[in-house]
Amino acid sequence: MEIEIISFGKIAEFMANQRLTVDGIKTTAQLKDFLEQEFPPLAGIKYKLALNKTIIQETVELKSGDTVAIMPPFSGG
Amino acid sequence: MSDRKVKDIFINGKIDPMFIGESIAKHSDKKNIGGHSLFLGQVRNDEIDGKMVAAIDYTTYKELALTQMDQIREDIFKKYPLSCMHIYHSLGTVKVGEICLFVFTSSIRRKPAIEACSEIVERIKAELPIWGKEIFEDETHQWKENS
Repeated sequence: MEIEIISFGKIAEFMANQRLTVDGIKTTAQLKDFLEQEFPPLAGIKYKLALNKTIIQETVELKSGDTVAIMPPFSGG
Repeated sequence: MSDRKVKDIFINGKIDPMFIGESIAKHSDKKNIGGHSLFLGQVRNDEIDGKMVAAIDYTTYKELALTQMDQIREDIFKKYPLSCMHIYHSLGTVKVGEICLFVFTSSIRRKPAIEACSEIVERIKAELPIWGKEIFEDETHQWKENS
Protein backbone atom coordinates (compact mmCIF):
# COMPACT_ATOMS: atom_id res chain seq x y z
CA MET A 1 0.00 0.00 0.00
CA GLU A 2 1.13 3.53 -0.73
CA ILE A 3 0.97 6.30 1.87
CA GLU A 4 1.90 9.94 1.39
CA ILE A 5 3.89 11.41 4.26
CA ILE A 6 4.10 15.15 4.80
CA SER A 7 6.12 16.70 7.59
CA PHE A 8 6.38 20.11 9.19
CA GLY A 9 8.52 22.30 11.44
CA LYS A 10 11.61 20.67 12.88
CA ILE A 11 10.49 17.23 11.64
CA ALA A 12 10.73 18.50 8.04
CA GLU A 13 14.47 19.05 8.64
CA PHE A 14 15.15 15.31 8.71
CA MET A 15 12.09 13.75 7.06
CA ALA A 16 11.18 14.99 3.58
CA ASN A 17 7.70 14.76 2.11
CA GLN A 18 7.52 11.40 0.34
CA ARG A 19 5.41 8.58 -0.97
CA LEU A 20 6.08 5.43 0.99
CA THR A 21 5.30 1.98 -0.21
CA VAL A 22 4.69 0.07 2.98
CA ASP A 23 3.75 -3.54 3.33
CA GLY A 24 2.41 -4.98 6.53
CA ILE A 25 1.45 -1.59 7.97
CA LYS A 26 -2.23 -1.37 8.67
CA THR A 27 -2.59 1.29 11.34
CA THR A 28 -1.21 4.70 12.30
CA ALA A 29 0.44 3.11 15.36
CA GLN A 30 2.38 0.73 13.11
CA LEU A 31 3.28 3.62 10.82
CA LYS A 32 4.67 5.56 13.81
CA ASP A 33 6.85 2.60 14.83
CA PHE A 34 8.09 2.27 11.25
CA LEU A 35 8.88 5.99 10.92
CA GLU A 36 10.65 6.13 14.29
CA GLN A 37 12.92 3.29 13.10
CA GLU A 38 13.57 4.89 9.71
CA PHE A 39 14.05 8.37 11.19
CA PRO A 40 15.52 7.95 14.69
CA PRO A 41 15.32 11.67 15.66
CA LEU A 42 11.52 11.34 15.45
CA ALA A 43 11.51 9.01 18.45
CA GLY A 44 12.74 11.83 20.69
CA ILE A 45 10.08 14.36 19.63
CA LYS A 46 6.50 14.85 20.73
CA TYR A 47 4.36 14.86 17.59
CA LYS A 48 0.79 14.58 16.36
CA LEU A 49 -0.62 12.98 13.25
CA ALA A 50 -3.25 14.24 10.87
CA LEU A 51 -4.87 11.70 8.56
CA ASN A 52 -6.24 13.24 5.36
CA LYS A 53 -6.27 16.72 6.94
CA THR A 54 -7.93 15.68 10.22
CA ILE A 55 -5.97 15.52 13.47
CA ILE A 56 -6.22 12.08 15.01
CA GLN A 57 -5.84 11.32 18.72
CA GLU A 58 -6.12 7.55 18.59
CA THR A 59 -4.89 4.74 16.38
CA VAL A 60 -6.71 4.63 13.05
CA GLU A 61 -6.61 2.12 10.20
CA LEU A 62 -4.77 3.20 7.07
CA LYS A 63 -5.72 2.61 3.46
CA SER A 64 -3.77 3.05 0.26
CA GLY A 65 -3.67 6.65 -0.94
CA ASP A 66 -3.96 8.16 2.56
CA THR A 67 -1.99 11.28 3.42
CA VAL A 68 -0.46 11.35 6.88
CA ALA A 69 0.94 14.61 8.27
CA ILE A 70 3.62 14.37 10.96
CA MET A 71 3.44 17.51 13.10
CA PRO A 72 5.68 18.67 15.97
CA PRO A 73 4.19 20.83 18.77
CA PHE A 74 2.50 23.96 17.40
CA SER A 75 4.11 27.35 17.96
CA GLY A 76 1.95 29.92 16.23
CA GLY A 77 1.10 33.35 17.57
CA MET B 1 -20.23 20.92 8.27
CA SER B 2 -21.66 23.84 6.31
CA ASP B 3 -20.41 24.51 2.80
CA ARG B 4 -19.68 28.18 3.36
CA LYS B 5 -16.26 29.26 2.24
CA VAL B 6 -13.40 28.79 4.70
CA LYS B 7 -11.69 32.15 5.27
CA ASP B 8 -7.97 32.59 4.81
CA ILE B 9 -6.19 34.15 7.80
CA PHE B 10 -2.62 34.18 6.50
CA ILE B 11 -0.62 37.22 5.46
CA ASN B 12 2.86 37.00 3.93
CA GLY B 13 5.35 38.67 6.25
CA LYS B 14 4.55 41.17 9.00
CA ILE B 15 1.11 42.61 9.67
CA ASP B 16 1.39 46.29 8.84
CA PRO B 17 0.16 48.72 11.55
CA MET B 18 -1.51 50.70 8.74
CA PHE B 19 -3.62 47.62 7.90
CA ILE B 20 -4.64 47.38 11.58
CA GLY B 21 -5.65 51.06 11.59
CA GLU B 22 -7.66 50.61 8.41
CA SER B 23 -9.39 47.52 9.87
CA ILE B 24 -10.53 49.59 12.86
CA ALA B 25 -11.68 52.44 10.62
CA LYS B 26 -13.88 50.07 8.58
CA HIS B 27 -16.13 49.58 11.60
CA SER B 28 -17.21 53.20 12.03
CA ASP B 29 -20.45 52.60 10.11
CA LYS B 30 -21.43 49.61 12.29
CA LYS B 31 -23.31 51.72 14.80
CA ASN B 32 -24.44 48.94 17.17
CA ILE B 33 -20.86 48.14 18.20
CA GLY B 34 -19.96 49.44 21.66
CA GLY B 35 -16.53 47.87 22.15
CA HIS B 36 -13.65 46.42 20.18
CA SER B 37 -10.95 44.20 21.60
CA LEU B 38 -7.63 43.75 19.81
CA PHE B 39 -4.74 41.45 20.45
CA LEU B 40 -1.48 42.08 18.61
CA GLY B 41 1.28 39.51 18.85
CA GLN B 42 4.75 40.97 18.36
CA VAL B 43 8.03 39.14 17.74
CA ARG B 44 10.19 39.47 20.85
CA ASN B 45 14.01 39.63 21.02
CA ASP B 46 14.38 36.60 23.27
CA GLU B 47 17.89 35.73 24.37
CA ILE B 48 18.62 31.98 24.22
CA ASP B 49 22.04 30.69 25.32
CA GLY B 50 23.55 34.12 24.78
CA LYS B 51 22.12 34.51 21.27
CA MET B 52 19.47 37.08 20.36
CA VAL B 53 16.41 36.23 18.27
CA ALA B 54 16.34 38.48 15.17
CA ALA B 55 13.20 37.14 13.46
CA ILE B 56 10.69 34.30 13.36
CA ASP B 57 10.00 32.36 10.18
CA TYR B 58 6.44 30.97 10.24
CA THR B 59 5.18 27.96 8.30
CA THR B 60 1.84 26.17 8.44
CA TYR B 61 -0.18 23.22 7.24
CA LYS B 62 -2.57 25.62 5.64
CA GLU B 63 -5.52 23.39 4.76
CA LEU B 64 -5.65 21.96 8.27
CA ALA B 65 -5.04 25.34 9.93
CA LEU B 66 -7.94 26.95 8.07
CA THR B 67 -10.32 24.11 8.94
CA GLN B 68 -9.28 24.31 12.61
CA MET B 69 -9.69 28.10 12.53
CA ASP B 70 -13.14 27.75 11.01
CA GLN B 71 -14.18 25.52 13.91
CA ILE B 72 -12.80 28.01 16.46
CA ARG B 73 -14.65 30.84 14.70
CA GLU B 74 -17.91 28.87 14.79
CA ASP B 75 -17.49 27.95 18.49
CA ILE B 76 -16.72 31.54 19.49
CA PHE B 77 -19.67 32.99 17.56
CA LYS B 78 -21.94 30.48 19.34
CA LYS B 79 -20.51 31.33 22.76
CA TYR B 80 -20.34 35.15 22.60
CA PRO B 81 -22.67 37.78 21.08
CA LEU B 82 -20.14 39.23 18.65
CA SER B 83 -20.77 41.62 15.79
CA CYS B 84 -17.45 40.88 14.09
CA MET B 85 -14.34 38.76 14.34
CA HIS B 86 -11.19 39.24 12.25
CA ILE B 87 -8.07 37.12 12.52
CA TYR B 88 -4.73 37.43 10.70
CA HIS B 89 -1.53 35.46 11.21
CA SER B 90 1.81 35.97 9.47
CA LEU B 91 3.66 33.42 7.37
CA GLY B 92 7.30 33.71 6.35
CA THR B 93 9.77 36.02 8.04
CA VAL B 94 8.68 38.53 10.68
CA LYS B 95 11.43 40.58 12.33
CA VAL B 96 11.73 41.44 16.01
CA GLY B 97 9.36 44.29 16.84
CA GLU B 98 6.95 43.49 14.00
CA ILE B 99 3.38 42.22 14.38
CA CYS B 100 2.72 38.53 13.60
CA LEU B 101 -0.82 38.00 14.97
CA PHE B 102 -3.87 40.27 14.86
CA VAL B 103 -7.12 39.21 16.55
CA PHE B 104 -9.97 41.72 16.47
CA THR B 105 -13.41 41.18 18.02
CA SER B 106 -16.32 43.61 18.30
CA SER B 107 -19.53 43.47 20.27
CA ILE B 108 -22.39 45.60 21.51
CA ARG B 109 -20.63 45.70 24.91
CA ARG B 110 -17.01 45.35 25.99
CA LYS B 111 -17.06 42.09 27.96
CA PRO B 112 -17.93 39.62 25.19
CA ALA B 113 -15.41 41.35 22.91
CA ILE B 114 -12.61 41.09 25.49
CA GLU B 115 -13.37 37.51 26.55
CA ALA B 116 -13.79 36.24 22.99
CA CYS B 117 -10.56 37.91 21.89
CA SER B 118 -8.61 36.31 24.72
CA GLU B 119 -10.11 32.86 24.10
CA ILE B 120 -9.35 33.04 20.36
CA VAL B 121 -5.68 33.89 21.04
CA GLU B 122 -5.33 30.93 23.42
CA ARG B 123 -6.99 28.56 20.96
CA ILE B 124 -4.87 29.78 18.03
CA LYS B 125 -1.70 29.06 20.00
CA ALA B 126 -2.87 25.62 21.10
CA GLU B 127 -4.79 24.34 18.07
CA LEU B 128 -3.49 25.79 14.81
CA PRO B 129 -0.74 23.86 13.00
CA ILE B 130 1.67 26.77 12.70
CA TRP B 131 5.40 26.55 13.44
CA GLY B 132 7.76 29.39 14.32
CA LYS B 133 11.45 29.03 13.60
CA GLU B 134 13.44 31.50 15.69
CA ILE B 135 16.27 32.92 13.59
CA PHE B 136 19.19 34.27 15.62
CA GLU B 137 21.38 37.22 14.70
CA ASP B 138 24.15 34.79 13.64
CA GLU B 139 21.67 33.08 11.26
CA THR B 140 21.46 29.83 13.25
CA HIS B 141 17.97 28.83 14.35
CA GLN B 142 15.87 26.88 16.78
CA TRP B 143 12.20 25.87 16.72
CA LYS B 144 9.90 27.81 19.02
CA GLU B 145 7.55 25.93 21.35
CA ASN B 146 4.46 27.52 22.83
CA SER B 147 4.36 27.45 26.62
